[in-house]
Amino acid sequence: MVYIGTDLIAAWGLNLEFGVTGIPNLAFIVFVACGAYTYAVLTVGPAAQFGGAETYIIGGHVPAFFAIVIAVIVSGLLGVLIGLTGLRRLRLDYQALTLLIISFVASGIVGADSNIFNGLDGMSLIPDPLQFVSSQSGRAWLYVGVVAAMCVFSVLLVRRFTGGPMGRALRAVRDDEEAAIAIGKSILGLRLLVQGIGAALAGLSGVLLVGFIGGWSPSAWQYVETLALLTALIVGGRGSNLGALIGTVLLLGAFLQGVQYLPTIGRPDLIFDLGWVVVGGLTIAFLFLRPQGILPERRPRYASGPQLDEPAAATTEPAAGSAGDDDRRARRQAALSAVVAAEARRDPAESYEDVLVVEGIARSFGGVHAVADATFTVPRGAIVGLIGPNGAGKSTALGIISGFITPESGRVTFAGRDVTGVPANRRARQGLVRTFQLTHEFSRLTLLENLLVAARRHRGETVLGALAGRRYWHAEERVNLERAHQLLELFSVSHQANKLAGTLSGGQKRMLELMRALMLDPKLLLLDEPMAGLSHAVSELVEQACLSLRDAGVAVLLVEHELAAVERLCSNVVVMAQGTVLIEGEMAALRRSKEVQEAYFVG
Amino acid sequence: MRLFIETIGFGIFSGSLISLGAVGFTVQFAISNVLNVAYGAFITLGAYFGYWLVNDAHLNFWLTVPIVAIAIGALSVAFNRLLPRPLLRRGASFVAILIGTVWAGITLQYTIVSIVGPSTFTYALGNGKTIDLWDFVLTNTQLIIIGGTALLMLGYHGLLTRTQLGQAMRATSVNPVVARSCGIRIDRITDVAWLISGMLCGATGVVLAGTVSTFDSTLGTTFLVYMIAAAVLGGIGQPYGAMIGGLVVGLTTQLTAAYLSPAYEDVAAFVILVVMLLAWPRGLFGSAAAAGRRLVG
Repeated sequence: MVYIGTDLIAAWGLNLEFGVTGIPNLAFIVFVACGAYTYAVLTVGPAAQFGGAETYIIGGHVPAFFAIVIAVIVSGLLGVLIGLTGLRRLRLDYQALTLLIISFVASGIVGADSNIFNGLDGMSLIPDPLQFVSSQSGRAWLYVGVVAAMCVFSVLLVRRFTGGPMGRALRAVRDDEEAAIAIGKSILGLRLLVQGIGAALAGLSGVLLVGFIGGWSPSAWQYVETLALLTALIVGGRGSNLGALIGTVLLLGAFLQGVQYLPTIGRPDLIFDLGWVVVGGLTIAFLFLRPQGILPERRPRYASGPQLDEPAAATTEPAAGSAGDDDRRARRQAALSAVVAAEARRDPAESYEDVLVVEGIARSFGGVHAVADATFTVPRGAIVGLIGPNGAGKSTALGIISGFITPESGRVTFAGRDVTGVPANRRARQGLVRTFQLTHEFSRLTLLENLLVAARRHRGETVLGALAGRRYWHAEERVNLERAHQLLELFSVSHQANKLAGTLSGGQKRMLELMRALMLDPKLLLLDEPMAGLSHAVSELVEQACLSLRDAGVAVLLVEHELAAVERLCSNVVVMAQGTVLIEGEMAALRRSKEVQEAYFVG
Repeated sequence: MRLFIETIGFGIFSGSLISLGAVGFTVQFAISNVLNVAYGAFITLGAYFGYWLVNDAHLNFWLTVPIVAIAIGALSVAFNRLLPRPLLRRGASFVAILIGTVWAGITLQYTIVSIVGPSTFTYALGNGKTIDLWDFVLTNTQLIIIGGTALLMLGYHGLLTRTQLGQAMRATSVNPVVARSCGIRIDRITDVAWLISGMLCGATGVVLAGTVSTFDSTLGTTFLVYMIAAAVLGGIGQPYGAMIGGLVVGLTTQLTAAYLSPAYEDVAAFVILVVMLLAWPRGLFGSAAAAGRRLVG
């Protein structure tokens, strides 16, 4: 029972890291070991107690309670520390491999040290934290009770982070890092938080385990243990706490422990070895037959939102020409700008005239100057087009403005403030929001959640907010929900609200991209070819959205190859070619410009 | 000085064995993006197969190496077709496939144990004459192994750089989607990659078993640690990195064993490795791809 309980605590910790946040922590068992060793080193007496047979430098004799607390904290800190190293710059599969190595190596290193951890022999006679109970069986039962209580505590704690706005943000980080940055999430912050909590839970699991067994050695925490926990998660259904429970009980409880009670056939241990063969085969079969796990992650479904005056306008395609249609279009545009303007209008007039000033930005890749000394501005509440032939540096310029690409020189001023050194996620939160040319959706969140997760400064996305629970952030969530529903309605995709974003069509994903950006209350929206590959009706929706934004006082920088649309929308157009700004002006005038024609057709 | 040179010699020997295995391991990762932990169990399988050929079928040891290599190579291709490839096709995540190979490895290892039993085995392989070249004291066997490894590595280098197949392999490793649209038959390339890595794996298994004093069913999984360390140290997915990484791991383990204490044999190397990985995680030959944002989820 104690084993299953400690495994469960660890499994929930790992589920938070891997299942929900997508951190492939193959060194998870190291944090369990860290907790166990910290507790052991702190509580065992000085060397003399063991007649000199074992040597420990530290004989802490610290009371069990404090030792437990310290052990959990130390494990958590170790988790954060590992998260802070160079590892965070690696691709996730490389990270997984590196962590696996660290797990191998850690047990090797500890195994060689005989002074503090007593090497491969491990530590023994570690005091039971419940020593004060005199009867042996009473103590065992109490221990089971304590572990059970800790399990309940752990799952309640973990649920605060895996559910609600926090869980949504973590899943966003898991599903698409870049998009998560683009909606203002701090990837590093969220990952470190999760690694800290996960490691602390691992530490707790280790303490409880070692307090019960009374001994601890490197053979108890091989990397295989992490893989066993991961298997439990995958079998149970990663991302789901209940799935983690089922997987752990089934796999680690029933299979691995159960094998021991089978009768012996042939040589001793044969049945045990065959047991592994069977478990291995079953797990592989499981991966094929039910890859999502017994109880897959489930996303919340929301009831449909408030109906607008004329829902028909949103669902039927506007047939060009009819008078009723123009009217309907105008009404929808007004409704959209009302939704968008909710925040923008509250913005007091600030002293800047141009929302964006780009001065002399430059960036080269491998000797090729993608952007070389480009300068232009975007006035408040204007739609500015950015056009140019392929390879002119438009996307790179957009990347520099949004903070995804670091410029080699030049300055970006947004809303009167120099943001050249500000990270992309902070720019997004300040209202400098971008969309992607290739859509980036959070595929395992629903369409509606994709919008909700983008809401700025959600109270439920802070550590304390997540801990405080639903009551603390419920009101704010309702407001966001209403807004998201309105957007879905206006972009005529309400009926898809509860569909997983990964299953949407290409056009719908583009709409998602735009709606998600709108949820951030942008002051300036950077649109990277929002109409590429869209049907006429849908591009018209995008055009309308741009106009609504302008009406609401939001500026738009539009990169687009559809020049007719650019001409209809943009007051001013910037033409880039070969990394620099070629010319600027009204589209109609530019059409006649010889330079522009040459750039398009020759350069 | 004599101790130093002796140690270097032995370090090169054990390093070349690690390189041999590490290159095989890294090829699978580079071409298929699969972290195949079952690789260790395949090494064990190669070792037992070689043992059987030498002791029961009375074949010459050096003859068994290519036989086992081909056998394990074929098994490796079959394994890829049975497990990682279908899982990839079903859109399984990186970690799910990793878990699949873990259990495949465990299943294989315990199947071997169930058949051969838990006792340890010894090859009847003589070391041959000792050769004393300046102060390099190496046995014939060791020299042959070092030379053989060097030749294999050169051959692999030639394959990668001089042949169309090698070019296709490199292209696939950089971007399989683009490679496919350029008309490269990805399935065939992955088959070749798994064949090569399986052959290296089998060769490593036989030679490893032939040079350690005794071995049991954990041989491969224990050795896997060194190989992965070498592969990661060199920059995972980089064949040249794996070669150099293997030598580095071999040399550092032998040097610490000789100069610090045999108890610290692995530790010093591992400490260096951890420090390096945390500070400079892309490895010696790490590619820019390592720092990209390819998702695992």
